[in-house]
Amino acid sequence: MSYSFLTINCFKQLIVTMIGVLVVTQGYAHQSPTTMAVMDISPRLLALELQLPLSELSLAMGQNLEESPETLLQTKKEELETYVLKHVHAYVDPKQPWRVSITDMHLDQEKDAISGRPIRELNVSLVLSPKQGENTRRFTLDYDLIMHRVGNHVAFVSIRNDWEKGRLQNKPSEIGIIRVDTEDNRIYPLEIHLEKGDGVQGFMGMVSYGMQHIKEGTDHLLFILTLLLPACLLVRNEKWAGYGGIKYSLTKLLKIITAFTLGHSLTLLIGTLGIQDFPVQWIEVLIAVSIFISAIHAVKPLFYNKELWIATGFGLIHGLAFSQTLYHFNLDSYELFLSVLGFNLGIEFMQLMVIVITVPAFIMLSQTTVFGYVRNFLAGLIMVVALGWIMERISEQPNSVTQLVDLIYPYSHYLLLGLYLISILSLIISLNRQPSKNEASV
Amino acid sequence: MSVTNLKSIAIIAAFSLLFSCNKEEEDIDTITEVVTSDCDASTGVDKIVCLANNYLGTLSTTQQTTSVNSLNLTNAKKWSNLPENGSTRLGLKFSALSSTQLLAAKALLAEVMGNTTDQGYNQFIQTTLSDDNLSAAAGGPYGSGNYVIGFLGTPSTTGKWMLQVGGHHYAANVTFDAGEVVSITPSHQGVEPITFTTSGTTYTPMATERAVMADMLASFTKDELAAAKISTVFSDCLLVPGSTSNTFPATKLGVKVSALSSTAQAKVLAAMDPWLDDLNESTAANYKARYTADLADTYVTYSGNSSGLSGTSSSFFTANADYVRIDGPGIWIEFICQTGVVYPSLIHYHSVYRDHDQDYIGL
Repeated sequence: MSYSFLTINCFKQLIVTMIGVLVVTQGYAHQSPTTMAVMDISPRLLALELQLPLSELSLAMGQNLEESPETLLQTKKEELETYVLKHVHAYVDPKQPWRVSITDMHLDQEKDAISGRPIRELNVSLVLSPKQGENTRRFTLDYDLIMHRVGNHVAFVSIRNDWEKGRLQNKPSEIGIIRVDTEDNRIYPLEIHLEKGDGVQGFMGMVSYGMQHIKEGTDHLLFILTLLLPACLLVRNEKWAGYGGIKYSLTKLLKIITAFTLGHSLTLLIGTLGIQDFPVQWIEVLIAVSIFISAIHAVKPLFYNKELWIATGFGLIHGLAFSQTLYHFNLDSYELFLSVLGFNLGIEFMQLMVIVITVPAFIMLSQTTVFGYVRNFLAGLIMVVALGWIMERISEQPNSVTQLVDLIYPYSHYLLLGLYLISILSLIISLNRQPSKNEASV
Repeated sequence: MSVTNLKSIAIIAAFSLLFSCNKEEEDIDTITEVVTSDCDASTGVDKIVCLANNYLGTLSTTQQTTSVNSLNLTNAKKWSNLPENGSTRLGLKFSALSSTQLLAAKALLAEVMGNTTDQGYNQFIQTTLSDDNLSAAAGGPYGSGNYVIGFLGTPSTTGKWMLQVGGHHYAANVTFDAGEVVSITPSHQGVEPITFTTSGTTYTPMATERAVMADMLASFTKDELAAAKISTVFSDCLLVPGSTSNTFPATKLGVKVSALSSTAQAKVLAAMDPWLDDLNESTAANYKARYTADLADTYVTYSGNSSGLSGTSSSFFTANADYVRIDGPGIWIEFICQTGVVYPSLIHYHSVYRDHDQDYIGL
């Protein structure tokens, strides 16, 4: 995505600015550690994340902060907060500075791009709120953290998300550099002029963000597919039996998807509004569990005819995970409403795409005599993957299963091709065999 | 494996160590005799051009193409204080040269850089050894093989061309025009750790640089020190190369040399020497004359050095962010102590020498 609509002017001149150039800041390598200042811009709020190298911060504050980083935030939290707030200001009218507040402060460790040595950083999240009648498209960032004292310190300023331009890529692109102007030893504020965006662009951005989220969300995709795997089948004697017919299948599929959508829409809204602060890690674990249970269901009907409730229930869980991704955009109510709607539509659209692409294969397979084997085989695989995820999300350590999934996922179109090949082969095999009434049930 | 086997391996290893150590000594001391006989008849820039062509003559056509690039500002700015990563510098890596080619390259460097003890060519070789030492300790992008030599413009006694040589802790950019040396900057030097031992020899390539700067500040009276000191601190040299490289300050900071005692003034002049002695004798003499003429209008500033005491050399440049700058009408030298990268418990040195009027001259 090009950023050519962005123009940055500096108060006087000479602060190096990059106009219309997309630079991913992580790619930089510098001799002395630099500050990364990353902005997430929404119409009424500017979220600013600062990555401050402790070595440089130590020089600026005239004390060794690297001595015992473990206890730094216990012993010096207030001092650090006061220091940060003293050096970060934003305004349209200098007499009416924006309200600046710190929302989070924690220690991070980065790796130097060249030597690989660890660089300890203080990570500070701030929220800057424009005055009434002002917005985040045009303002002055008056910032001299560290460099007010450390003459060679450099802060790279970048934009990660810009809601009104539909820019929700989560990849920072550099828009300017703040440092001491070596020619006159002054630090000039950075004037930020962003081209106007609007709700339509924001909304469309959220639609494509929702689509992307499903496209990249291996676990959500797998959940949907697992739920759909036995959806075309009837149940007899508490076992999956034969194909239920086209009308039966389509109705069932539609019902499951709608129920899932209702579920996750509800929690997405609740979660994004921040009504509840859900523990992300356990939501992720629950999602993996939901996949595992659905895979068992694909082998042996656990909740036949109660699929709607299950889909709704699991939808609620998946929606909580979706909401976490919207929460950090720091949106105001109107934008939030548009975002939830757009994001949801994006998710729906992508889900429908997945269904349209895969369901013909499922319908084909469901009519074959070997579907029981294929279904059990797939369900087994899915169980292994789900278990891998459960373990990964509890231990917070990747394992060989999840690493393999990450490796294979980019080639998932081949898996789809494989699914269709299996379907067609199965159909051929079935047609060549004399179908018996109960063969499909395993 | 039997004990006898182990013994013989140890003996072989010891011999090869001895051998390699001798070979290194040979490289430093005798290369001029080995490959420069053709050029001995000429002197000055003529000899340098002869040696440059001698080196280019040892290269394949492909290597020559990589070696000689256009003389323009973009290319001239490709010097760095970072370890080589394949795109930082133009030219050929030492590791890509055969032993004959490398000897020819080093003969050229020896002639350009001169043979002042612990300065010039000798310091350059010590710097590459320090990088081998870092490579042994930390691997990665360090090591003498990652030093690069190249030309901007074709070496000649009539045209304009630039010799670029550099690696992690060394950058020399020397420009020649119509048979004269017209610029010897930007230049960068560093070392980590500040003392290291290789093959039984201990090296301290920047000890002189530190000593002259410490002597200079120690020669200042208490008041002169106070006038020279600034509250701004530095974690690296200000005019390092790279994406944020910047302009020289319009206002010079610190104390003006004309306001100092004559003893201190002499020390300021002496403090420049180790950077100028990195060029051969005649070039160094020209630049010493140039900066002597500017001396009265030159400034000295420093920061950090909280332990620094007038009269005590050893009290300066002992800790991270101890920094000094000599800023004249022409000259610009920065010298700083930084926390080590591979050895974080030790400091290491960085310095940058530039010239207000001659950096990237005419580009």
